Amino acid sequence: MKPLQGIRIADFTVHAAGPFCTHMLSQLGAECIKIETSLRPDIFRKPHTVYGRTGPASFDQVASNKLSVRLNMKHPKGVAIAKQLVAISDVAAESFRAGVMKRLGLGYDVLRAVKPDIVMVSVSSSGQTGPDSHFAGYAPLFGAWGGLGYLTGYRDGPPVEMRHVMDHSVGLNAALATVAALHQRRRTGEGTHVDVAAREVASSLIGEALVAVAAGVTMERMGNEDYRRAPHGLFATAEPDRWLSIAVETEPQWHALLAVMNRHELAMDQRFVTAGERHARRETLDDIVAHWSASQNADDAAERLQRAGVPAHVSWSAEDIVNDPHLRARAAIVRVAAAGEGERAAVGFPARFSASTVGIERGTPELGEHEAYVYGELLGIGRKEYEELVADRVIY
Amino acid sequence: MDTQLPLSGIRVVEHASGVAAAYAGRLLAAMGAEVTMVEPPGLSPLRREPPFLSPESAVSALFAYHSAGKRSVVCDLTTAAGRADFDRLVGEAHILIDDTPIGGRDALGLSSERIAASHPHVVHLSVLPFGATGPKADWLGAELNVIHASGEGFLLPNGLSADLFPDRPPLKIAGHFAEMQGGIAGALSALAALWAGKGQYVDVSAQDATVAVGAFMVQRYGDGSLEHRVSRSFRYGGVIACLDGHVELLTLEERQWQGLVELMGRPDWALDEALSDPAERSARGDFLNRQIRAWARHQPVDELVARAQELGVPMARYGSPAHVLAGRHENARELFAEANVPGAGACRIQTAPFRFGDKPLPMRDLPEGLEADSPTAQHRRHPGVGQDQRESA
Repeated sequence: MKPLQGIRIADFTVHAAGPFCTHMLSQLGAECIKIETSLRPDIFRKPHTVYGRTGPASFDQVASNKLSVRLNMKHPKGVAIAKQLVAISDVAAESFRAGVMKRLGLGYDVLRAVKPDIVMVSVSSSGQTGPDSHFAGYAPLFGAWGGLGYLTGYRDGPPVEMRHVMDHSVGLNAALATVAALHQRRRTGEGTHVDVAAREVASSLIGEALVAVAAGVTMERMGNEDYRRAPHGLFATAEPDRWLSIAVETEPQWHALLAVMNRHELAMDQRFVTAGERHARRETLDDIVAHWSASQNADDAAERLQRAGVPAHVSWSAEDIVNDPHLRARAAIVRVAAAGEGERAAVGFPARFSASTVGIERGTPELGEHEAYVYGELLGIGRKEYEELVADRVIY
Repeated sequence: MDTQLPLSGIRVVEHASGVAAAYAGRLLAAMGAEVTMVEPPGLSPLRREPPFLSPESAVSALFAYHSAGKRSVVCDLTTAAGRADFDRLVGEAHILIDDTPIGGRDALGLSSERIAASHPHVVHLSVLPFGATGPKADWLGAELNVIHASGEGFLLPNGLSADLFPDRPPLKIAGHFAEMQGGIAGALSALAALWAGKGQYVDVSAQDATVAVGAFMVQRYGDGSLEHRVSRSFRYGGVIACLDGHVELLTLEERQWQGLVELMGRPDWALDEALSDPAERSARGDFLNRQIRAWARHQPVDELVARAQELGVPMARYGSPAHVLAGRHENARELFAEANVPGAGACRIQTAPFRFGDKPLPMRDLPEGLEADSPTAQHRRHPGVGQDQRESA
């Protein structure tokens, strides 16, 4: 049995962050009803030429496992049906700009009136309150607002854009807060309104740097470097664009690295005796490691370093990840059947449970695929009424 | 105990030496769980991890951030007495978090089998760089290795940085991004297991969690396209250098592009009829970016961002930590709260990445320096442990 079996989510989320939240909850067993309209489809269903490609984005991943219904919330009857869906749900999730749900007549107060213990989850760029709460944004803007983008980059270069991992980390945080709110409901009988601001997730990910700066310390970009570890970086190997990450912390790791590089004599080198000296002379050290790695097969070198006790890994592309036996054995990478396309790789739930199951059962739903179940069985809307609602473009 | 918080009443024992497991405990503590850090006699290595709160002090900002809201006790798990104290703590807990490498668990009484036999009620959360099972379960992984094992490292930098330094190695995200994804996934998984109502073993890996948030590249691979840091840059926009800093600019929708044309003062090149086709804009991305970059170089950031928002153009300043701390919006939302950091005094710390209702989660105390920790409080809740702690400390 899945851990969240019996939990139902009315899912109004669009784009990436909100749908990833409900996708994670659905992999944990929640029944997730994705509410869409053909009037304004989720923009992640559409191609975006600014990405330089024509296919949809991550829609297939985050829509998988969900039930799909059409609903036109611009129609008063659509709003009434949305409330009926919330009334039979435990969680209502949305990721519009702050204020949009209220304007639709579906604000937290309204939802609480139809379902007193509802857990409402709002995912937005800047949160439900505050002077910037109306700001629109995407992942790179979240990273810019929150300081994460500023601190990422080479020492002598500009800030770096955060991409989809930023969105999805927001969703992962939102899923956590949602389950916490369910625990609170179980204990107190009361629901709540969870407010997840993407820019605050970005800043939470550099929490220690913000504490240091608040105390008067200066923090700047530092590339792949570490405050005290050396060697610590990415090294070119004999294969093009196949980089080896090495992070040496302890004395045994340092000596093991020298053994693998067959440079035992450096153990006696006065320049590199202590960790502090190695860090101070890290550029010299990087040259030494780079000279060795330039003749190495990257995967073979990573294996040998790990066997010797040195933290090392090849900088992996999606191809390495999708085909990795370890990630497949852990079901971190799974196969999903997509409508009319055969199977493709997808990410699974990132944990293994000894006494529960998790994961993806179905691929991407067709728009409105589950209306017979949701509108018919769950809401008790009869065949004739359903057809009228379709004809009136309420279910549309 | 604050009974108003979402996780009030949930007790967690955390045995963590790395950021991933410590962050799982930190997130649970922020939401009201009672989290007890169990430290070895030599104390948590996170206490010695930079950045520090001043160049001279050895007070770790990393530890301050990750320990907020936790209590601390010392147990020497290499001794029978220490393991007995630890068992008393776990016996009263709902969740045990541990990141001991699998090869070291048996000796400390931390194997999944031993915990399940002694504490069948407990949710035993294991958080490791590559997880506790699978062919690479015993691999070592610092943050640098994990983020580059998870796809996102290979995909950075993109945009302006990739344009400037096309031959440099791929790049990690600042701080502990990958380990923290492990922590978030760990906290979520532990609460889900607890919801299911039975003790069980939950195996989380920071690599899995970072691969999960990298879902996009996995899907793109399935679509027949291998993402690469250079080719995945936005065709135009992205990181733009201005007079006094950098901004992010991203126009995904037609009206946003129109707003950008207005923002730039309707230059002739932008009024070219062909550019009304988004596909043509994408094809001429390099040309557009040259024009946008040349124009933006003379613009002051604050004014530019304010005008952009008025015109509905998604644009944001690349805020430094100091900007974030001083942010009007952040302060209106009380994102940072003052906490007393033992050895350093009052510091502003972000309480949590989310909130419940209008108000932020409250700042909860940091663990005291061990000598100052109240033995009476320890005795009251966990007889024996406080005693042991004083002796060890």
